[in-house]
Amino acid sequence: MRGSRRAGMLAWWLLLRRLVRVALLPACLVGGSAQAALQEPRQASVLAAPEIPRTPPPPAAAWAPVSLPDDAGYSRPGRDKMPAWYRIGFDYPDDPARQAQWAAYVPYFYDGGDLWLNGTLVASVQENTDRVYARTYRPLTAVFPAPLLRPGRNELAIRVAAPKGYPLRFPRVGIGPQAETQPLHDRRLFWTRTVPELTVLVSVLVAGFVVFIWWRRRNEVLYGLFGLAAALWATRTMTFLIDAMPMAQWEWWRVIYQSATGGFVVVMAVFTLRYTGVHRPGLERGLLVYWLLGPLSFAIGGFAAEPFVARYWLGGMMVVGLLIIATSIGYARRRGTLTSAALSAVMAFAVLVGVHDYLITWDPRLLGRFLPEWVGHRIHLLHFGSNMLLLAMAALLTARFLRTLSSLEDLNRTLETRVADRERELAANYARLAALEREHAASEERQLIMRELHDGLGSQLFTSLSRVERGDMNDDQIASALRSCIADMRLALDALASDEHDLSAALGNFMFRWEAQLVAAGVRPRWDIDLPDDALTLSPHAALQLLRVAQEALTNVLKHAQATQVQVRLCQREGMLEMDIEDDGRGLGPDPPRQGHGMGNMRSRAQRLGGALELKSTASGTCVELRLPMSAATA
Amino acid sequence: MTTSVLIVEDEPEFMRRFSDAVLADAGLSLVAVVSTGRAGIAMLDAQAPDVMLVDLGLPDIDGVEVIRHAARRHPQCDVLVVTMFGDDQHVLASIEAGATGYLLKDAGAQRIAASIHELHAGGSPISPSIARRVLARFRVSPVPAAPAQPETSSPLTERETEILRLTAKGLSFDTIGELIGISPHTVVAHVKKIYRKLAVHSRGEAVYEASQMGLL
Repeated sequence: MRGSRRAGMLAWWLLLRRLVRVALLPACLVGGSAQAALQEPRQASVLAAPEIPRTPPPPAAAWAPVSLPDDAGYSRPGRDKMPAWYRIGFDYPDDPARQAQWAAYVPYFYDGGDLWLNGTLVASVQENTDRVYARTYRPLTAVFPAPLLRPGRNELAIRVAAPKGYPLRFPRVGIGPQAETQPLHDRRLFWTRTVPELTVLVSVLVAGFVVFIWWRRRNEVLYGLFGLAAALWATRTMTFLIDAMPMAQWEWWRVIYQSATGGFVVVMAVFTLRYTGVHRPGLERGLLVYWLLGPLSFAIGGFAAEPFVARYWLGGMMVVGLLIIATSIGYARRRGTLTSAALSAVMAFAVLVGVHDYLITWDPRLLGRFLPEWVGHRIHLLHFGSNMLLLAMAALLTARFLRTLSSLEDLNRTLETRVADRERELAANYARLAALEREHAASEERQLIMRELHDGLGSQLFTSLSRVERGDMNDDQIASALRSCIADMRLALDALASDEHDLSAALGNFMFRWEAQLVAAGVRPRWDIDLPDDALTLSPHAALQLLRVAQEALTNVLKHAQATQVQVRLCQREGMLEMDIEDDGRGLGPDPPRQGHGMGNMRSRAQRLGGALELKSTASGTCVELRLPMSAATA
Repeated sequence: MTTSVLIVEDEPEFMRRFSDAVLADAGLSLVAVVSTGRAGIAMLDAQAPDVMLVDLGLPDIDGVEVIRHAARRHPQCDVLVVTMFGDDQHVLASIEAGATGYLLKDAGAQRIAASIHELHAGGSPISPSIARRVLARFRVSPVPAAPAQPETSSPLTERETEILRLTAKGLSFDTIGELIGISPHTVVAHVKKIYRKLAVHSRGEAVYEASQMGLL
C-alpha cells in the first residue's frame, strides 16, 4: 500500500520534471540565441493602410520604422486594425559551411497573410476576410529555398491581414538555420496547440466521469459542479483548436466561448464557496445573475456586443476571481492544512494568470513595463492555470472520496466489533438465562421432592413412630407401616425419576407392583387403561399425585373392603383425565365417611391439581372417582 | 440335587436375612457368605456356585465387577443382583455386566428363595421400567412402529420385542403369556435370553471382547 503510493508519487514527480524541462527549453534557446546564427531583428519597417497590395510595396513606399514585437494598438493607435506590410532585413552568411537550410519562424501569425523572401512568395497562411474568421494559434515556419538567398543582406516582406476586434500584433521573427528555428516552432506548437487539445480531451473525459458520479449521487453537489466546470472549460478551450471558421458560425461560437469562459469562473466560485463551507445562497444567486448578463448582452446587442462582453463582462469576472482567492485563503487560514493552502495557492495562481491573459489581450503595455520580453511572446497562460485548478479540484474530490471510503471502512470495523460484542453479550445473557432456568427448575424440583418427603414419607414415619412409642403397634403393624413407607418411596421414585415424564411408564410400574400385591391378597385386579399411545405427558408431580390417589384407594380396598375384585379404569375424555377405582367389597354402609381412610389426603391431592374426587357406594361396593382437567395436569 | 448359593453382601442385617432364607429352603445350599467383592471373586473361582446373590454397594470393589467376573469365568453361574428399589440404572448396569435377575431388598424369605429357584430354572424377572430401558438400549420404540418399517437392526426377535413392550405397559407375565399364547415360564425364559443379548451387546463387553482379541 505504502510502497505503491510512493511509486505513484515518484512517477508524478518524473512527469512533472519532464514538463518543467519542456517548458523551460524555449527560454534557454531564446536566451542562447546570441551565440547562434539565429537572427531575431528588433528593427523593421511597417506599412499600414486600409488597403494594401498583394505584392510587397517598393522600398520607396511609405514605410515607417517599427520595433518588434509590434502592437499596433500602441505603435499606430488610429490604424491599429488595418492590414500591414512588415519588412525585415537579415544577413545570410558568405561562408558556404554555414549555408545550411534556412527558415523563418513566426511565433504567431493570428490573422494570416503572406511571406515573401527577396520578392518571391515563400509561405501563406489563411487570411482573415469578411466571410472567414481566421485566427490561428499555430506558429509558422517558412523554409527558404536556397536559390532565393544571397550572401549578405536579404529581405523578408510579410503581409499581415487585418485583424477583427483586436489591434494588429506582430512578433519578433526568428531567421536562421532551420535546425535552430524548428525546435522553437515545435515548443510553441506544443504549448499553444497540443496542450489545448489535451486539455479538451482530458476535461471532457473528466467531466463525463464526474457528472456520472453526481448523476448517481445527487446530493454530492461538488461533483456536479466540478463536472460542469470541466465541461465548460473543455468547451472554452476548443477555441484554440479553430484555425479558421466561416464568419456566421464564428459569431455563434464566440457567444458560446464567452459564456463558457464566464460560466467556468462562476462555477469555480460556487465550487469554492461550497467546498470551503461558506453557505451564502444570496451570493450564489448574485453570481448566477452576473453570469446571465453575458448571454443577455448578446441577446440585446447581437454579435456586435462581443467586444463589450469580452472586455467588460469578462473583466468583471476578475472580481469573481478575487472572491475565489479570498474565500480559499480564508479557508486555508481556518483549516491550516496543507491541502487547503495548496488549494488557495492554485486558485490564486489561476486568477493571476487569468488577469495576465486579460492584460495580454487588452492592455499588453501595462504588463510589458515589467516583462517586455515575455509579453512579446504572447503566450496565454489561463489554460495552464485552469488545468492546474481542475487538477487540484480533482485531487480534492479524490481525497474526499478516499476519506469517505476509509471512514466507511472504519465504521464497518466498529460495527463489526460492536456486533461481535453484542453477540458475545447475547450468548452470555443466554447462558445466564439458561443457568437461571436450570436453577429454577432444579429448585422447583427440590421443592416438590421436599414436599413429597414431608407429606408422604415424613408424616407416615412420624405417625408410625408415635404409635410405636405408645406401644400401640405390634410387630406386624410396624412391618406393614414400614412396607407402606417403602411403597410410597417406590411410587415417588417411579414418578419423579422417570426420564420420560410419561404417565404410562410410571403407571406400568405401578400396575406391575400392585398386580402382585393384590393377587397375593386374594383380590383379582382388572386394569382398564384407555389412554392415547402418543403422549400423555403429565408433569412428574401430577403423575405422582394421581398414582398416590390410586395407591390410597387400592390400599383402602386391601385393608377395608374385603373385596374379591377391583377394577381400575383410567381414560382421557374431552380434556379431562378420569380415574375410577371400583371394588365389589362391603361398601361404605349407610353413613359414608367424609374423612378417614385417607379420604382427606386424596381430596386435597385432587384439589391441588384442580380436580375433584368423589366417593360413591355402588350396587356391589365402593367407587372412587377422580376427575382432573388435562390442562392443569400437564402444566 | 440342591442349588448352591454364594452371597456377597456387606450389611450384616441383610447378610443374615439372605443366608437365613437360603438355609431355610431345602432345595438350596449355602456355599459361602462374604462381605467384600474380592472375597466374592475368590469364592467364585474356588467353588463355582450355581447362583450368586450380590449387592452392588460393596466396601472394596463395585459389585458390577464381581458380576462381570462371574459372567466371564463362570457363565453357568446365575447372578442375582440385590437392589433396594429395583431402580433401573443399577439393575441395567448389572444386567449389562452379566446378571440375569434382580431381587428387591425388602423381599421376604420365601420370595428370596423363590427368586433363586426361578432364576436357576431359567426365568428372569423384569419390571416395566427395566423393560423400557432394555428397549431403549436396543433402540426399539416402546410403541410398535408402523408395520411398513420392520425393525431389522435390532438383535431382538419379534417375540422378545413384543414381550418387552407388553411388560413396559405394566402387564403381568400371566397376562402376557395369555396374550401371546405361551406359558408364563416361557415368558420369563425369554426375558433371560433378552438379558444375555443385552450383556453381549453392552459396550463394556465389547471392549472386553476387543481386548481379548488383541484389538485394544
